[in-house]
Amino acid sequence: MPHMNRRESMFRIGTSLGSVAFASLIADEAKAMEAPGPLAPKPVHLPAKAKNCIFLTMTGGPSHIDTFDPKPTLKKLHLQEFTRSGETKSAMESGKRYYVQSPFSFHQHGESGALMADNWQHLARVADDLCFFRGCQVDSVNHPTAMYQMNCGNRFGGDPAVGAWVTYGLGSENSNLPGYVVLPEVSDPQGGAPNWGNGYLPAFYQGTPLRPTGSPILNLSPPPGVTASRQRQNLDLLKAMNQRHAALHPQHDELAARLESYELAFRMQTEIPNAIDMSEESQKTLDAYGVGREETDAFGRKCLLARKLVEKGVRFVQLYNGGWDSHDYIERAHGNRVQSVDQPIAALIEDLKARNLLESTLVVWCGEFGRSPDNGVRGGVAYGRDHNPDAMTIWLAGGGSNAGHTIGATDETGMTAVEDVHHIRDFHVTLLRLLGLDDNKLTYYHAGRFKQLSQFGGKVINKLLA
Amino acid sequence: MFRFNRNMVWIQAFFFIGTAGSVVAEDGESAALFTRRIKPLFREKCLACHGEDKEAKEGGFDLRSLQTAAHGGDSGAPGVVPMHPEQSSVYLAVSRSEDAFSAMPPKESESLTSEELGWLHDWIDSGAVWPSENEQVAIRSQYENEWSQEDGVRVQTSGGLSDSWTNRNYDPEGLWAYQPLQELTIPETDENPIDGFIEAALPEGLRVAPPASRRDLIRRATFDLTGLPPTPEDVKTFINDEHGDKDAFRVVVERLLSSPHYGERMAQHWLDVVRYADSSGFANDFERGNAWRYRDYVIRAFQDDKPYDQFVREQIAGDEISPDNPEHLVAVGFLRQGPWELTSMEVPRVARQRFLDDVTNSVGETFLAHSLQCAKCHDHKFDPVPTRDYYSIQAVFNTTQLVERQADFLPKENQDGFDEERFLRKMEKGFLELQEEMDEVVQQNALNWFESQFEEADPDRKQEVLDTQSKWKQAVAKAAKNMKSGAFQRARSQLMQQGIVQNDLPPLRVGLTPRQNGMQRVANKGLQRLKWEFDRYKPFALSVYSGSTPTYNKVLAPLRMPKSSSKGVLEQMYIRTGGDPFAEGDPVSPGVLSVLADQVSAAIPETPEGRRKAFAEWVTDPNNPLVSRVMVNRIWQWHFGKPIAGNPNNFGSTGGLPSHPKLLDYLAATFMENSWSVKDIHRKIMLSEVYRRSSTHPDPDGLAEKDAEGRLLAVFEPRRLSAEEMRDSMLAISGELNCDVGGVPCRPEINEEVALQPRQVMGAFATAWVPNPRPEQRHRRSLYVLKLRGVKHPMLEVFNSPTPDFSCERRESSTVAPQALSLFNSKNSYDRSLALAQRVWTESSNETGHRDMWAVRRIYELVLCREPQPEELEQALRSWRSVEASLPEKARPDSKVPLTASREAVEEFSGKRFMYDEVLYANQEFEPDLQPNDVDRHVRALGDICLVFLNTNEFVYVY
Repeated sequence: MPHMNRRESMFRIGTSLGSVAFASLIADEAKAMEAPGPLAPKPVHLPAKAKNCIFLTMTGGPSHIDTFDPKPTLKKLHLQEFTRSGETKSAMESGKRYYVQSPFSFHQHGESGALMADNWQHLARVADDLCFFRGCQVDSVNHPTAMYQMNCGNRFGGDPAVGAWVTYGLGSENSNLPGYVVLPEVSDPQGGAPNWGNGYLPAFYQGTPLRPTGSPILNLSPPPGVTASRQRQNLDLLKAMNQRHAALHPQHDELAARLESYELAFRMQTEIPNAIDMSEESQKTLDAYGVGREETDAFGRKCLLARKLVEKGVRFVQLYNGGWDSHDYIERAHGNRVQSVDQPIAALIEDLKARNLLESTLVVWCGEFGRSPDNGVRGGVAYGRDHNPDAMTIWLAGGGSNAGHTIGATDETGMTAVEDVHHIRDFHVTLLRLLGLDDNKLTYYHAGRFKQLSQFGGKVINKLLA
Repeated sequence: MFRFNRNMVWIQAFFFIGTAGSVVAEDGESAALFTRRIKPLFREKCLACHGEDKEAKEGGFDLRSLQTAAHGGDSGAPGVVPMHPEQSSVYLAVSRSEDAFSAMPPKESESLTSEELGWLHDWIDSGAVWPSENEQVAIRSQYENEWSQEDGVRVQTSGGLSDSWTNRNYDPEGLWAYQPLQELTIPETDENPIDGFIEAALPEGLRVAPPASRRDLIRRATFDLTGLPPTPEDVKTFINDEHGDKDAFRVVVERLLSSPHYGERMAQHWLDVVRYADSSGFANDFERGNAWRYRDYVIRAFQDDKPYDQFVREQIAGDEISPDNPEHLVAVGFLRQGPWELTSMEVPRVARQRFLDDVTNSVGETFLAHSLQCAKCHDHKFDPVPTRDYYSIQAVFNTTQLVERQADFLPKENQDGFDEERFLRKMEKGFLELQEEMDEVVQQNALNWFESQFEEADPDRKQEVLDTQSKWKQAVAKAAKNMKSGAFQRARSQLMQQGIVQNDLPPLRVGLTPRQNGMQRVANKGLQRLKWEFDRYKPFALSVYSGSTPTYNKVLAPLRMPKSSSKGVLEQMYIRTGGDPFAEGDPVSPGVLSVLADQVSAAIPETPEGRRKAFAEWVTDPNNPLVSRVMVNRIWQWHFGKPIAGNPNNFGSTGGLPSHPKLLDYLAATFMENSWSVKDIHRKIMLSEVYRRSSTHPDPDGLAEKDAEGRLLAVFEPRRLSAEEMRDSMLAISGELNCDVGGVPCRPEINEEVALQPRQVMGAFATAWVPNPRPEQRHRRSLYVLKLRGVKHPMLEVFNSPTPDFSCERRESSTVAPQALSLFNSKNSYDRSLALAQRVWTESSNETGHRDMWAVRRIYELVLCREPQPEELEQALRSWRSVEASLPEKARPDSKVPLTASREAVEEFSGKRFMYDEVLYANQEFEPDLQPNDVDRHVRALGDICLVFLNTNEFVYVY
């Protein structure tokens, strides 16, 4: 019961083991995709619109107060002393503290009248496609533990990431690409690779980082100087030796799977560079995403790549954007961060929409927590904000989410969520629900019990569904 | 609820109803069924959401009385319609068959079993009688004897948080692990009782596989006991040994048990269980500079066949057993293996509780096969482990304090490579210079700031600015005398204390560019991290001491022993209700698993010292039925790939039952009789027939039919080499392996994308992975590879080396395409292949006949432990010629290691990207492995043949 059947091997492949004939170099991909395997497409638990998910992770904790949840009261309270009641949760709560107003102004956008800070110039165009959720709360004030909780449900790491769960639940539509792809920031976030780990799920479901520079997937190509024909020659000798060996061990059914994994690896060597190739994109598209402009190039490429991967059948794409931890100088720091993602994200949503993909693609934007209305005012003029697990803004687009609505609210200062308040576990359950998965069914036996993304179960936040 | 034999209980339930009917009236039948089955079922599966919480009743449905139950919930449908289960929404919801009602309970893994559904059906069918509390008491006492026999057994524990938990019954099957070891009579004639137990469990007609060939057997045994392949000479000696199979094999086993690689191999298994890593994880992922000494302690313990009970006691309480013995101070490093940190972002109590929870569960899983964390927030759902026990065991560790304490190096510890400290010193110097440079810049900026203040100030304020500026200059000069860095901050805060308002002073980091701000952070963080890394070379141990809990808000440098262990707060232990670190429920005293109290009692002192020692004695008491079973079960799995009891970390009712319970008990008893000798258990297992069986079965169809789960061991199951075995074997075969045992962690070359991947740590970035400069330092066994929680060795990771987040009771060995990419394309594989080619080519130099043929034969011997068939030989030679013909005469220029790493990062004060170069000091002395230009084209081509060999299934699988 607790262990994977050893026969369930192979990455995203497909062939029925034991009966694998030695696939020709140009394999029949369609056939491979149909056949069963751990990453073969699986039926949903519940009917749903979303088939794929693009998860935009802003690490460091974007401030809800300075992006999508304006707090005019803070203008009145600006630099008045702030006192906190209740038990101290963090050293960030000590010392003299002051209310801090947002340096940004806000306006309503779209027919829905969504409130957005003015520096979201591009995202404002798609305001009516977004569903803002202001009621989410998390448990941790620390980056790595909050990141783990946002990504894996468990603050202390080691559990499968959302993308791993989704791929485990739905399989993948393309057997030649990983089911869960991560487009990382130049530097790994605090907590590192476990943020996209498979945890106790089998290794097939691990997030695969596609690196923007160097080899997109490790060892995708042999060392420089090794030609394809030389590699093919080696592969042929390997195949011959393995065939002879298999004939002597007919009862060992893993052999065929391992042999096939080499053919697949060889196919990936061409498939992956094709999948990430931007040369076929028009200049107009590149411009729309901000590719080639210094401020937006890095994230623009990721957003464009995310769309391409979803088109190719990748189930879950997670994009990272770092540097949102603005304890000081929030105007400058958040301003620059917003500028780096605003145009790319708006372009992504418009592009998905134009290709009729937005309906089947759930887009999520979030950080690991929100920020506080107060600050120690370090350095005198360098106003910023500290971590706040009690309030944050998450938004959704597409995939059957409740476009054009703002759900939940925080108190007057943005200190804590007060309406439609939900723990992150409910958000996770809702995210799975949008993808047709039931958190209570999507379980895996580990360390003595059936574990699930929400840890111990949660509720669907119905207001976030269209 | 528990692991009932379903059919049996089902029949019993009907039987009871049938017979009870003749004693009590129809009403009585329904009432009895309610009391016995339905009430507990509602309590366990329903009431948490439908009654207990008066505020929140899901769906408006309340299951606390017949009246409310019958009324139903918001849907309007009646919940219970007496005599009509098919009209009762409760029944329809739990039977999960009607779309109109949400499936209940919501978690599929908690669905009602068919017998539970049967009870509910029959209760409603028989009139849904709901007796009063008093009536229930009466009914229960009337049937007490009858029911207790049929419904499983009561178990004595320290008591649950509720009476219903305390008084619940258990299916005896799930309690197997708490039973004393069975007294077994071993027939005198049985040479190896293991085979007797295995044979007894074989179904009639199931044949067993014949003995494995000597070639397969020596390869199997050598990998099992050393994690390395046998040498061609070992294989030949064994194959040519004229003694009988068993006697010849006995010699092999003895040789392997005394090999220095035996301890390394067993240590790898152990470190999987205890989650060994060289860093602390989370925000800072600081290095644990002294962790390697615990790793080496484990190697020594296995190598010297330290009695297992002693090994356990030393790991739990070595510091209390002999505080002056460095070996024992190192041994308790076991208690420190979980990830842990305390940054100023978190309150200390929370972090302290995290350590306590971690160590409690780790002790439970490792030694007792109990996942104790299941009892942290509530009494254990399935096993007789109350929350009270959880916190009683935790109280044992309540006085355990974290420390990196003085422990002199022992002569047997490997201190090679300590001279590499020089690279850290260079880094330190670099960071200090950087700090100084930034100090100068910011001080100059401050002066510029004053000048512009002066210019902009109103005429009547100009003198004030000048005064402040002069005070500033004095303060900075004074501060700079006393400190290496940070005079700016010191001066600023001093002047503010003197009453100068913030706005009249230069702002922090005044005028620094994003890059300068970033560099300042990098320098500060680098110096902080180095404090931990320097510890590698110092005589300190990752250890603990017993005493009061000291007060600190953050831990940013290794913790040293305090002057007095009683400084701080002597913690009291309470039940932390609901797992809340601040809750103070009932106070508890240090204790043990109470379910075992009648077999082995423990007297744990309340004094700060001695708790762990007494607890360790309880754990290893020969009457403790868990500890010996747990260890022999692990050892069995290390040989057969599968354990006897299904989950080595979980002997509770949710773990797999033992396939061969008598065998398990026999091994456990023998283990203790032979002074807890692990090596003795290896001998017994390996000299059995079952271990020496072939992996090919004569009747695969019969095997599949009679042993569908593959647990009867009629055939030996092949396994894939583990990640470490694969890497180590490649080095051994190529002749590059450094066979030294122990010492500071090594850093092999890894993919540059990973080595230079910047990673965020609190406030800045961690430094790059820089390989050791000399090949022999890099080519150490994988056990010694620096294991950082934040950076995984790509090859080891892809071949399923477990992460240190959870205890790994058994490795996964899934086959995924990235494994093929790693083994077939990586620089590591090409380097090993070339070295192997060069090795055999050099060795063939004395060969007078066909040198190429000799070389290929040698590769067969080294990689596959056998001679090639003539057609195999011919095929390899042909491929070699053909590759050679396609290769250019000269190889491409060799790759060079980078001397700096270009870093790009987002600077937090500005949200802007900035770039800087990190100097990779150790690369300045880098000596590469054998490179293509070092050999001729003939050998380069042979390298490709070697690469193929190292990728074959025959190499990668052990039969």
